[in-house]
Amino acid sequence: MITRRTFSALAVATAVCALAGPATAADYPSERLTYTIAFGPGGGNDRMSRTVVDILRKYDLYAGDIVVENREGGSGAVGFSYVSQQAGDPYRLTSTSGNFIGTPLVADTDWTYADFTPIGLLASDAMLLVVRADSDVTDVDAFVEAAKAGRVTIAGSGSAGPERVTAALFAKAAGIEFEYVPIGSGGELVTALTSGSVDAVVANPSEVAGQLDAGTLEALAFSDNARSTNNPDVPTFKELGYDFSFSLPRGVVMPSGLAPEVQDWWIATLKQVIETPEWQEYLVKNGMSGNPIWGAEFAAYLEETSAQYRAVLVEIGAIEG
Amino acid sequence: MLGEIASNLSLGLSVAASPEGFLFLVLGAFLGMIVGLFPGFGPAAGIAVLIPMTFGLQPTIAIIMLAGIYYGSMYGGTITSILINTPGESATVASTIDGYPLAQKGRAGPALVMQAIASFFGGTVGVILITALAPSLADFAASFGPSEYFLIIAVGLLMLTTMMGDNKFKGFISALIGFAIGTVGVDVMSGQQRYTFGSPELIGGVYFVAVAIGLFGIGELLHCIFNGQHRQPAKRLRISFRDKEFWPSRQDYYESRFTFWRGSAIGFIAGVLPGSGATLGSIIGYSVEKKVAKDPEKFGKGEMRGLVAPEAANNAASAGAMVPLLSLGIPGSGATAVLLGAFLMWGLQPGPLLIVNDPEFVWGLIASMYLGNMILIAMSIFAIPLFVKFLDIPYVNVVPVIVLLCVVGAFAINASIVETWILVGSGLLGFAMKRYGYSPAATVLALVLGSMAEETFLQTYIISQGTMSLFWERPVSLVLSVILLTIVLVPAALAVMRPRKAQAAGEAR
Repeated sequence: MITRRTFSALAVATAVCALAGPATAADYPSERLTYTIAFGPGGGNDRMSRTVVDILRKYDLYAGDIVVENREGGSGAVGFSYVSQQAGDPYRLTSTSGNFIGTPLVADTDWTYADFTPIGLLASDAMLLVVRADSDVTDVDAFVEAAKAGRVTIAGSGSAGPERVTAALFAKAAGIEFEYVPIGSGGELVTALTSGSVDAVVANPSEVAGQLDAGTLEALAFSDNARSTNNPDVPTFKELGYDFSFSLPRGVVMPSGLAPEVQDWWIATLKQVIETPEWQEYLVKNGMSGNPIWGAEFAAYLEETSAQYRAVLVEIGAIEG
Repeated sequence: MLGEIASNLSLGLSVAASPEGFLFLVLGAFLGMIVGLFPGFGPAAGIAVLIPMTFGLQPTIAIIMLAGIYYGSMYGGTITSILINTPGESATVASTIDGYPLAQKGRAGPALVMQAIASFFGGTVGVILITALAPSLADFAASFGPSEYFLIIAVGLLMLTTMMGDNKFKGFISALIGFAIGTVGVDVMSGQQRYTFGSPELIGGVYFVAVAIGLFGIGELLHCIFNGQHRQPAKRLRISFRDKEFWPSRQDYYESRFTFWRGSAIGFIAGVLPGSGATLGSIIGYSVEKKVAKDPEKFGKGEMRGLVAPEAANNAASAGAMVPLLSLGIPGSGATAVLLGAFLMWGLQPGPLLIVNDPEFVWGLIASMYLGNMILIAMSIFAIPLFVKFLDIPYVNVVPVIVLLCVVGAFAINASIVETWILVGSGLLGFAMKRYGYSPAATVLALVLGSMAEETFLQTYIISQGTMSLFWERPVSLVLSVILLTIVLVPAALAVMRPRKAQAAGEAR
């Protein structure tokens, strides 16, 4: 088959022939592709989707036109519902994020993660446990001890979002109790910590990157399976002996009811996308780690993440069990 | 310090003076003047309606354009105040007091030129103050936790009372409507849904841009039609800047040389305080000018200083209002509330760290305001005859265009019909509010500030284990609490004292 990856349209066409056999290969990417973004312009999901599309265009990885559309509303409910209704259409792509798992759990949507064809998890967006650099707590064990000795407050964005899930999973693994303070968004979250109002925050690396660089804040642990390439000094919860991991799936899915050849074509194409310097730059800039998984493995990951999420939401009383 | 400011500004200029940035800045400033020209169609509605136009743009460029509409409308709004005694928006109401008599005396030309110069002066002084103060304000703001945010928002909500008009009772009802709309969405504590009726579109709450377009745009329109404004023939006015009488006299400049400074300083302070803004600034600017004048009897009869003061003030205020917006994420007026929505839509979180995380954006915006004011003074002076022509368009032809812009604007927010229904509902509400003297501005501000107040209050509640002790244990909170109590208690105490005094006076007689 193909031994060497080159980024020319010709090579891609050959790759497709080799992978999918003559009949489908000749006509699969023959129409206009619609990439639906279930969130507004400027957010994390939007940035990732547009990065993927820009790479597809720049390296001619997709032969036809690509249309990008934002269909925001209802924490992704509107856009994901729209894509799930295009079952059988092989020219529809959308990007997943935390709400892809979370929204169907809390709202009455006509779709769940299982109503899509999984392509791949391109990056995982995990969380950091962060404290002030001038605080007495310098590692996770000290934090756990402080929590056992007295009352600790941990803040995170949103009341039932991935930050709270991460905090709850940590507390369970460490056997501690904490007071969760839901705070609207990145900026206020950081000031809640810098102003000394709360003891720690659970935050996305991109939200605290500036403060970590400046040395005003200190990250104690990372919620991914492996250390982040951006913060190699920060240990994972797992290696510290707190057995859990949780991250947002930054992946690509398509509507259900597609031929396996289409799924394979996109897995092969996206594998090329993540090899590009542009994608590496995107990961670094947004503080993500790239531990990609594909197809069936991605489906299993979505199932596990959804179950973890659901258990925490039931525990905190946001939804009924 | 100065070197830092210079490097920040040159960073900003590299964004604002790029060909694309400059083009959209000119477009925004131009649209702002037009928005200001149409009575009732103020900057809040103007920005809200034109947000969808910016969807294809880069965020910084989009905000530069929207901000241009915001402060551009302050220039345009005065033109109708002077020419036809109809303020384009609330912040230029004070300019009618002396502006219209000037036009009646045949000095419309000098009045229009002078208002442009005063606007430029106020706007530029305001931006210089932002440039100097914004970085230190950001440092200060990093010490703001939930308790401080709540108290600042509470102060802002109290300031709302100054915007409610004469009838405070109706003003409170207007604000309560805003609070009620703000409860739709997800409960901060538990994550449970409130009043969403199973609609996924409402999980994120009622998007206030649709409410703002409805209340201001459609509401004002219905009210104008109700008053029969569409049947009135358009007034024809002719002005040419080749005439000698077009320009202000040397005496005009000489008499108002201090007025420029006073108006700008008062306006900037009023603008920085959340909730007061340009309208209050222009009113205080006018009354202070009249108080310090040796000849207060001239005011109200076509006195140039009476026009310069509110104009310098409202433009300085519109610049000042960018300080709490950029450094604290707190909007000070309906228009900046809509701008805040636009920021969030672009993924820019206004707050203490905006200037740290997105310096290109903040300094690009600030630099664009310097350029924008220069563009606007040139535009106002040389395009005055052209802008006057816009008033020739019969209102009956303007109506369908505004309706179209509003509906497209609301639909484009989410490409969803839900927002369009919200628009229709709030349009009818806006008409009723205008008709019966309620305050749509209070509703929109309460909608924005109400949910922020709820969140920060609950955060403080959780952190302090329900004791509220944070409000007096933290130094900044303590100061803010004292200010808050002073604002509430002093007028209340005066109200209690006054009848007693009157009574005492009565007994003495």
